[in-house]
Order: sequence, then C-alpha cells, then structure tokens
Amino acid sequence: MSDSQSDLNLQRSRGTERIKEGTYGGFMLVCAAVTLLTTVAIAFTLLHDTISFVQEYPIVDFLTGLEWSPNPAGGELLFGIVPLLFGTIVVTITSAFIALPIGTLTAIYLSEYASTRKRAILKPMLEILAGIPTVVYGYFALVYITPALQATLFPSMSTFNALSASLMVGIMVIPMVSSISEDAMSAVPDELRQAGYGLGATKFEVSTGVVVPASISGIVSSYILAISRAIGETMIVVVAMGSNATLPTVREGLFNIPFIHPGDVLLEQGMTITVAMVNIVGGDLVGGTIPYDAMFALGLFLFITTLIMNIISDIIAERYREEY
Amino acid sequence: MGVEHEHEQTNFGQVSRIRGKIFEKLSLGASVFGILMLAVLLVYVVVDAFNLSSASPEWLLTYFITLVVPFIGFCLYSANDPKLTKQAVLALGGGLPAIAGTYIGVEAFIRPVPGLTWQLIYLFTVVVPVTAYVGFAGSREPVGRVGFGLLGRLVGGTALGFMFLILFVVFEPQAWFWAYTLGFLPAVGMLAYSRRQPKSIVSVFFAPGLIAASILAVKPDDPFITIRIPLDYSFLPYAADWIEGTISAVTIYLAVLSVPAAIVVKRAIERRRRTRQAQIGGILALVVGVTASIGIGVAGFAPELILTNYADYPGDWGIYVWSLVIPLTLASAGLTALQVSRKAARQTGVIILFVTVVGSQAATVVGISPKTAVLFLLAVSIPTLSFLRQVAKRQNGVIGVVLPVLLAGGVIIGAVIVDIWGVTPPDIWLNWSFLTAGPSATPELAGFYPAIVGSVLLISLVAVFSFVLGVGTAVFLEEYAPDTGLGGKVTRILQINIANLAAVPSVVYGLLGLGLFANLLGFGLGTAITGALTLTLLILPISIVSAQEAIRAVPDSMRNGSYAMGATRWQTTKNVVLPEAIQGILTGMILSLGRAIGETAPLIMIGFPNSIFNPPSGILETTTAMPMQIYVWSSSVKSGFRYGAVAAGVVTLLIVLLLMNATAIIIRNRYQRDA
Repeated sequence: MSDSQSDLNLQRSRGTERIKEGTYGGFMLVCAAVTLLTTVAIAFTLLHDTISFVQEYPIVDFLTGLEWSPNPAGGELLFGIVPLLFGTIVVTITSAFIALPIGTLTAIYLSEYASTRKRAILKPMLEILAGIPTVVYGYFALVYITPALQATLFPSMSTFNALSASLMVGIMVIPMVSSISEDAMSAVPDELRQAGYGLGATKFEVSTGVVVPASISGIVSSYILAISRAIGETMIVVVAMGSNATLPTVREGLFNIPFIHPGDVLLEQGMTITVAMVNIVGGDLVGGTIPYDAMFALGLFLFITTLIMNIISDIIAERYREEY
Repeated sequence: MGVEHEHEQTNFGQVSRIRGKIFEKLSLGASVFGILMLAVLLVYVVVDAFNLSSASPEWLLTYFITLVVPFIGFCLYSANDPKLTKQAVLALGGGLPAIAGTYIGVEAFIRPVPGLTWQLIYLFTVVVPVTAYVGFAGSREPVGRVGFGLLGRLVGGTALGFMFLILFVVFEPQAWFWAYTLGFLPAVGMLAYSRRQPKSIVSVFFAPGLIAASILAVKPDDPFITIRIPLDYSFLPYAADWIEGTISAVTIYLAVLSVPAAIVVKRAIERRRRTRQAQIGGILALVVGVTASIGIGVAGFAPELILTNYADYPGDWGIYVWSLVIPLTLASAGLTALQVSRKAARQTGVIILFVTVVGSQAATVVGISPKTAVLFLLAVSIPTLSFLRQVAKRQNGVIGVVLPVLLAGGVIIGAVIVDIWGVTPPDIWLNWSFLTAGPSATPELAGFYPAIVGSVLLISLVAVFSFVLGVGTAVFLEEYAPDTGLGGKVTRILQINIANLAAVPSVVYGLLGLGLFANLLGFGLGTAITGALTLTLLILPISIVSAQEAIRAVPDSMRNGSYAMGATRWQTTKNVVLPEAIQGILTGMILSLGRAIGETAPLIMIGFPNSIFNPPSGILETTTAMPMQIYVWSSSVKSGFRYGAVAAGVVTLLIVLLLMNATAIIIRNRYQRDA
C-alpha cells in the first residue's frame, strides 16, 4: 500500500507464518500475472495464425482486395478486406449518428439540468441499455425494428439490412457516451458555471458555451471508445445484417458524377469484419486451412484497431484534460 | 479588454427563454429516447413470449381481477396514503376508456397497430406503471416491506433450488457424496481445528484438502485429474467409469490428509494438554487419521471392497439429506443460536428438518419426486424461516405475510374461473414444457432446458474462476503491489493492461479461446470448460476493477490498526480488508457475471454446437447456452421459432439477468445501510 508500510517488514520470519505469507502473496502475484498473460496470449494466438495466413495469401491482396469469398462452392478463395471494412464503417458511422448526439445531450441533461432524483432514476435505466445482451438487440432489430421500418418508412427494405442493425448498435452504445461524458462534465468546477451566470448567460449558454468546451477532451474520448465498441460489435450485426460481402453499385448522378446511393447500402444486406469471422467459424474449426487463418488475420486487424483507438482515447483524455 | 468584453457580450448577451426551454426538453427527450425504445421492444417481446396478442379479453379480465387488483389493493393498504389511492384508482379507471377510445380511433382512421389490442396497450401503459409505482410506494412501508421481503425470499429460494437441481444434473450426486464425506467435511474439520490452534501446521493442508474435494466433485473419469488404477472394471458396466476416477482421487486426497492428521495426533499426545479444544482436535485428528489409513489401505490394496459395495450407496435423496440438509440445518441453527437464543435455534433446526424431510416425502403425493422437492424446500425454508422470525420479533407490519398467500390464491382462483367460464387460455410459449424440454425441429415442442443447464454450468464455473482470479489480482494490486520504483512501473503496466483488455472486442476473446483453450491446450471445441475459461478472461477486467474499487473503499485506518496489532499483511487482508470489502466485491462480481451470461460471440467462435438434446453431464462435454440458443433460433426461417420460441428464450434470459442484478442491488443496498 503506502510507502511507509512497504519499508516495514510485514512478512514475519517465523516458520509457518512465513510459508503462509509467501504462499498467499505468490498466489496473488500469479493471479495478477494472468491478466498480463492474457494479453500476450491474445497477441500470440492472433499473430501465429496470421503469419501462416500471410505466407499463404499475399498481404497486399488482403488489404486491397475488393472481394471476400472464403468458402465459394468450388470457386477460388478471395480474401479482400475492403468490402468488410466498408460494411464495418457503414455500421459504425450510422450508429455514431445515433449514439453521439443522443449520448451527448443525455450527458448534458444529466449533468446540468436533471434534479438529483431524476438523475438517480435515469442513470441506472441508461445502464440497463448497456446490460442487455447484444444477441437480444440483434433479435429486436431483426424481428421488430425491420418490420416496423418496412411498414412505415422503407417498404423496399430487405429482411436483413444495415440500418436496423446500426440503429440497435447506436442505442446500445448510448450509455457509454453518456456516462463518460457526464463524468467529464461533472468534473467541470462550479466556479466556471458561476462565472458564466455572472456574465449574464442563461443556463443553455452556460451548458453549451462553458461546460461542453471545458469537458471536450472527455467527450471526445467517450466518442472514440463508443466507436471502437461499435466496430467490435458482433451479435447485433450477425443476427440482423445478413452476410453479403459486396460493395454497393456506384451509380451515375447529375453530370455523370459517380455516387453511392445510401439506400443501396443501408437498406440492403452487408457484412462487417466480425460477421465474416463468425461465418468462417461456422464452417471450419479445426484449423490449418486458409479461411481459418484468415479469421485470425481479421481478428488481429480488429484487435489492433480497437487497441489504437483505446490508446488515442487515453491520450486525448490525458493530454487535453483541463486541469482545475 | 474592451474588445474581449464586446465579444463576451455577443456570446452570452442574448437571453432567449424559448431556446433554453427547447434545449432542455430536447436533451430530456434524448435521455429517455433509448429507454423508451427499449421499453417498447420489451413490451413486444413479452407479448410474443406469453402469446398475449391471442389472449381473449375474458382471460385477461379474469386474471386482472383475481391477481392484479388484490396486489394493487395490498400495496395501497400498505402505503396507507389516501392521495395515492385516489390517484391509482383514477389512473386505472380513467386510463381504460381513454386508451380504448384512442385505440379505436387510431384503428378506424389511421392504420391498425400490428400485434397489439387496446387491452394490451392498457395493460402495459397504465396497469404496469401504476402497479410498479404503487408497489414501490407500498414497499417503503412496514407492511409492504414484510410482504415483498417474504415474496423475495420465496422467489429467491426457488431460484436457488432450481440452481441446486441443475448443478446436480451436471455434477453427479454420488461424486458429490464422496467429495462431501471425504473432502469437505474433513477439510472443514481441519479448518475449525486450525482456527482453534492457530499455530498448528494443519491449516496449511486445508487448501489441498479442498482442492482434492473439488477434484472429487468434478466428473471423475477425466484423464487430466486422476491417476488411473489399472484394474478391470468391465464387470461393473454402469458405475465403472466414475468409480475408477473416484477411487484414484480418494487415494490422492487421503494421502494428502494423513500427513497433517499424523502430525496432529503426535502433537496432541506430546503436549498432553488437558484443554477441551486439544482433546477435540486430537479425537478429530485420530478419526481422520484412521479413516485415511483405512481408506488408503482399501483403495490401494483391496479396491474390490469399495467396488462391489457400490450398490449400497445411499440414493440421491439420502445424499441430499446427508450432505446438504443436515449441514445447512446445523449452520442455520448455529447462526440462530448466536443471534437469538438456543431455544430458537432448536426450534429452527427441528422445523427445517421437518419441512425438508417430511415435506419432500409428502411431495410424492402431488407427483414431485422427493429428491427434487428436498432441494427446493431446503432452499426456500431456511431464508423464509429466518425472515419470519425477524418479522415476528419486530412486531411491525406482520399482516404483510399474507402477500404470497394473496398472489397464490389469485392464480388458483383465476385458473378455476377460467376453467368454469370455459375461456380458452392463450397458448403461452414460455411455459413449463419450454423450460424443461430439449430442442426440437417443431417450434411448439422446442425447449430451453439444455441451454439453461449449460448457462448455469458456465456461470457457476466462471463465477469460481473469476472470483479467485479477480479478487486475487485486485488484492495484489491494492495491498501488495508497490507504488514506487521498478515495481511501481510494473504495477502501472498491469493497470493499463487491464484497462485495455476491457476494450478488446468479445469476438477476439472467442478467437483466443479457439486458438488457445480449444485447439492448443486441447480442452475441446464447444466444451463447458473452454467456454468458461474464455468467458472468465472476458469479464476478468471488469471483475478486477470492481473488486479494486471495493477494496480501495476500505479506510486505511483499519489496515493500520491491524498492522499495529502485529498482524501480517495476509492476516490484515484476510481479517480486515476482505470482510469489509466483500459486499462490494460480490456486487461487482454479480454484475460482471451478468455480462458473461449474455455473451454469444465468443461461444460461437469456440464452436458451441447449434443444438444439443441433452444437458451436459460434465465440464468436459459440449454444451450450449441460453444466448447461443437464441442466436440459433433467430436465424431459423420458421416463424414459430422467430416469433415464439426466441421471444420466450429472450424473456427467460432477461428474467435471469434481472434476478442477478436484483441480487446485486440488494447486497449493495444492505451494504450502504450498514456503512
């Protein structure tokens, strides 16, 4: 614990006591080492199979290939990550459109407007959103959201589509944005608010003009964490988005400017990196084949992406934090 | 300065009330958006699971009158607040025509609402909120507190009984019999002895004793943990596979046990202390030692003696009574003796014994086997009895105990009325056969039983692993790890690493499980142990952080007090820090287990099968889990699966989650009240 204690010799030097102290201390060290070993094991497992994948399949084709077909009936195996990246980015951006504004507004409401009692009710209820199993969200998207959207806004929507899945991913990550942002906003000292009021500002102006800028590092880092969560989300997209790894057709618009129609992307099936992994594992589990190794390459890609985003979020939260 | 002043004015000067109001409402709307959306979805899934959309209005009306109205009446009586009563009656009475009118209007002029009737909308928008609010208000008064407390014990006890039942599906009762009789019982005896004689070396052997006991409890025909005795068991077709393992584990255990036993006997004789404790310890040690030597002798030289007598093992009922009812009754009575009086303790013991032993035998009358009944009765009777004694002692709100009777009566009367009236009840998906049947190709026959058993098995294993690892790591980081120097750097790296592990997507943990546990270490694809280890690593960061917070909340003054008394670091941790922090640790642990029970992606990655027809009977067998089954069913094209069976599964999973979280919240509230 504290420094003064660590100078003392708290391991008494008599027989059984000493054995006991050593045993229990050692046991706890082993426990702590397990966490470190987990990271090493993840890196090792992913790297091991990724290396054998790279030996079989050129890495440039993997990173730039436009087609993904790991299990074609007799056809050639193609492992281009681009369509999967496209699907992942679509889901991430669409869900961010839902989660980031709603999460931020929620955080502002909880930290600035809500009474203590309202906050005591709202906060646990928001936590429930994060506690619902993701497979249940996927089921909701497939069975309730998609038919509702088909019946009202988009009659041409396919049963499996990116929009419902992204909606649910967005709702799932709202609490992540709101709780971290709210922590950052609550950390803004009251003097700043008082100063704002002293200058004649309204509550709205203090909230948006003082509190949000002062806590912007926390808000941005919560955004990055939420996006990283959306990238790694698996079950919602597996259940509700289908598995069609093709890039959308590029249409020609006015003056022959090529564009991608959002409906082609959002209302149709798509495939994310995580869905591709789940699809491969449905076919091959024993190992040694290229698709099996490709799955680990995708996993490594995912692992590195989320790790980098996590680190960036940490750096932002640390470096740009306003010290009061 | 002047320029800046101008600038500030343009930003802050224009006071607009409307803008502020709109913004406040907008942000409030944003806060409740997700919650409302989830609420609507939950309503739909509950309607689907109970097939309420096909329920006739008469059926709903009957249960509304026999079940809901008495419940609301009880809560209003407890709240004893005329204003609240008036509001509740107004809402229930006025909501009915309002909802019905609006619904009929919408249906006539705009469009029909799919899957809902006005009765259901009334039920979910008026009755459920009113009931919840009234229930909340009622539970804060003595009468309601007693009623809900009793109800909670009954429900919780039943859930616990179900858990016992499932654990005995997985871990064979006979293996448990051995583990208890030769493992836990002597181990606890040793622990008790070493507590009385703290300087004795016996306590060192407590841990190996428990480990050996758990080896016995695990399905013992496993090559990892047993040394096989080369013998021909072919003459025992049924029992051969587990007896083989059991004997080898027994041998190991007894060998471990005999050493401390011999030491204890030697000491007891040498010192010739005439204190009672020493005598008890000596006798105990003698018994253990003799058992050990006989056991070793028999197991090593004449195993046929055990093998041929296998038919004389007590039946499951006897095993439960011997290994669960008796020790738990004694423990309960002992606790009562400490807290109340010896007389009350005797009463408690007799009542519990009577209820469980006689009650379980009597259960055959209604067609429940005694061995099932004994588990449920035991799990329900102990907490209920202690609660009732508290209520009787407090003399406050005793009338609240009628609540369970009221509800049970409501269900029975409702069923009778429905039967006499000739109303056809809806074909509920989430019924008893759904909970007890295996999967099937026909949605109506499909059941959730193997998935429930699998989930309980997984969660039990994850709970054990993550408790040990999580608390161990948290204690290390908070109590042992240095803050400065090189060690401090390592500590910081550990801490950062844990934070990063928490952000790794669950599907990547699945790959870890597949590559490491399933393929490299050979635990097998889709087995319970692979799943449990993977899920343990997945929730480890969460459980570590929550345990750390709980440990950090223990004030330093308590630690320093303990050190000042001359306690070592481990003694301080064990006697001061952990008892103070245990409730916080448990709360965090249950919440993180809630995360584990809903995870699906890692289970898919480690090859959980799409459907298994029998629940697993050991940790090395392939298993399935509730979320996995939901995933499999939801990808089925049959609408009976997609709308019926999955909805029932989702509701089951959510109820389990709700129960877990409620437990966590109850533990936390109790902790806060004490603090």
